[in-house]
Amino acid sequence: MSRQDTVHDAVQSVVGLYRDRFELLQAEKRPKIGYVSIQTPEEIFLAAGIVPFRLTGEEGTDTSEASARLSQNYCSYVLSCFGEGLAGRYDFADGVIFADACDMRKRLWEAWTRDVPGSTSYFLELPNDASAISKEYFTLQLRKLLRKLEGQYGREIGEEALREAIQTCNRSRALMQRLYEYKKGRWQALSGEESIQVVKAATTGLKEPFNARMSALLAALEAAEQPPARKRHRVMICGSYFDHQGIIDTIEEAGADIVCEDISNGVKYFEGEIDLDAEPVAAIADYYLEKHTSARILDTDVRIQHLLDLALEYRVDSIIYYALKFCDTNLHDFPYVRERLREERIPVLFIEGERNATNIAGAKTRIQTFLESRMF
Amino acid sequence: MQVEKIERRREAQYQNLLKLLDGHRRDASKTGTSLRSSQMRSIINSHRMAEAYKEGSKVAYVSEQFPTEICFAFGLIPWNIESMAIMLAQSLDVNRIFQMTQERHLSRDICSFLRGPFGMMLADCYPTPDVVLTNDQPCEGLAKLVFMSGRSYKVPALALHSPNIVDEDSVDYLVKQMEHMMSRLAEELQVERFAESLRSAVEHSNQARHYYRKTADLLASHKLPDVSRELQEVFGMNYFGTRENAQLCKVLYEEAQELVGGEEKKGKRVLWIGQVPEESHELLQHMNEVVDIVFWAPLWEANRLMLDEDTPLRSMAERAMLYHWNAERMSSDIAQICDEYEIEGFLIANVWGCRNMMGVSPMLRDLATAKNLKYLTINIDLVDRNNYAFNHVKNRLDAFLELMK
Repeated sequence: MSRQDTVHDAVQSVVGLYRDRFELLQAEKRPKIGYVSIQTPEEIFLAAGIVPFRLTGEEGTDTSEASARLSQNYCSYVLSCFGEGLAGRYDFADGVIFADACDMRKRLWEAWTRDVPGSTSYFLELPNDASAISKEYFTLQLRKLLRKLEGQYGREIGEEALREAIQTCNRSRALMQRLYEYKKGRWQALSGEESIQVVKAATTGLKEPFNARMSALLAALEAAEQPPARKRHRVMICGSYFDHQGIIDTIEEAGADIVCEDISNGVKYFEGEIDLDAEPVAAIADYYLEKHTSARILDTDVRIQHLLDLALEYRVDSIIYYALKFCDTNLHDFPYVRERLREERIPVLFIEGERNATNIAGAKTRIQTFLESRMF
Repeated sequence: MQVEKIERRREAQYQNLLKLLDGHRRDASKTGTSLRSSQMRSIINSHRMAEAYKEGSKVAYVSEQFPTEICFAFGLIPWNIESMAIMLAQSLDVNRIFQMTQERHLSRDICSFLRGPFGMMLADCYPTPDVVLTNDQPCEGLAKLVFMSGRSYKVPALALHSPNIVDEDSVDYLVKQMEHMMSRLAEELQVERFAESLRSAVEHSNQARHYYRKTADLLASHKLPDVSRELQEVFGMNYFGTRENAQLCKVLYEEAQELVGGEEKKGKRVLWIGQVPEESHELLQHMNEVVDIVFWAPLWEANRLMLDEDTPLRSMAERAMLYHWNAERMSSDIAQICDEYEIEGFLIANVWGCRNMMGVSPMLRDLATAKNLKYLTINIDLVDRNNYAFNHVKNRLDAFLELMK
């Protein structure tokens, strides 16, 4: 077996956690709780002996029932998650936690509570900045959540368990950060699809196998021979929930590399680390508020600065701003983001799409034209 | 931004507004009700608009349900960017405004109540603010728009985040934010003492609220369509904290009292849920012929809350959270309104782009079914006429009215 084959197998091993997540989660003895926003502190659940996994809505392709119970004019990520819930896809889980990540997810929380029987729904208040007052309040909210879980599952969640959970999650973050170091260079060890799937594998909540498989992947990459350096156009994706294979293929087939994904299925998930020396709950609260740079935060300048920092770090040539149709927070931000990127002379293409759209011919043509005119 | 520069810009902005208004004068015969309070409100609004463009005025952009008592404590004129755009949309070429927003790549899927103010700012028609103040009611979109307007004008942008679950911790959190906001305002505006003016604003707010509540109570047992409409306007104007508003609410209540007894026989009552069109709008005219419309928003629990004068920030915090969209709270609030106001049907008005209204609509339909009420959901756009045609709605509305007869 060649070294490249070893890398390929190692990638597939990590990605397999995501691909087989339903079977793996069902087989898992520990209680399971789903979440819809990466601002949900997984550490709290892990410390409580619960597996926190992200809802992806991937199987909720039929959203007619969900649309009837919410609205047709809703973001397709929200609708497809709800569609899965209504279809009983998450019956193996005890419930779902909804962080206040946007108005539509708030309404999803209410609809879930009303229409998905047998599923406990939790709501987590989420401040929209990282001020001292907000951090103090968010810490309080996390303590409340801890107490609720303690009551629900009849176990005490001690400081030691919290530290252990932080350590596990910090390890996952560090491993993903190491992987993304490759993307900053000229050797794109992983395709855009693989990168996103690796991050999705981390969100399955199966932390120990993820860390083990990621370590193996990094070892394989370190042992692998790097192919000759190549100069390709470097694209960053930012915006709403994104994992659209058709869009990824279009970018890569046009001859560009997706070097950074400033999205919840990308770097936003694993940036930074939690301070292990600080009081654990406060440290968790600080981390989640400080790393929050999604369109949901009030001050778009914070988001833009983060975007610009990433563009510099990953030596980005152009940006594709992908907004799900009706994703208001990202739609609102676009005029500001576009203006700032124009000032920084970074080309940006706005693409609006649906979570499970199959007819993307129009977007394809626009992406090809945008990239070709900059590459040749 | 330097004071002198702000004032020079305001003069130009006022001229820009006049130019926009010039081509599209609103038909004066279609405005307002015949109530004295309606004329009074018109005068107050015109006066504050004119004042906001004047030299030396201090203007704060605010979101729809911002606790304006804070503005008045600092001598700020609150410029509610959303309702101001709606008001202006009735009088000017709104298509031109929307065109500008599209040229700046703002999606047409966003609620027109938000695209409107964005366009007005692009057209440089609003007076440059000294500060922008926002909370997150009624939606995150407006909060962001207000906050980012501060960035665009390069003036301080201060925000309140209101939690959704009302409890002591949330009240404490919001009170701390308000205190922080006021200390920042004191610093930015170089105001040393504001406790006394806050106390006075709270007193005025309560005086107005006292009459507002009594007027709302009268609506429960009497058909007073003009009064119902005026209450909606007073709520939308959100000018609580001034002497003028207290006076306005008092006059409205006195007029309502005068009208009691002389009113027509009460027709079947429909609760209008959602954003409300201007009073001369064809939908309202059409419905008024058959049913008695009661507007939902002015009757919200938050709108009936008196402030505790000893701890005003705590009750302002509680009020702010009660303004949040919350299906469970709204359901129990509406159920109570239905009983109190003898409501027999719901008209659920979904404005294109208002995700919150759309999201709570199923709860409203469930509630109507549980209470054996008739209901109709219509999709409309009250600002962007490109998204709405009366004829598309009329057939469904007629069928609903037929059921209500």
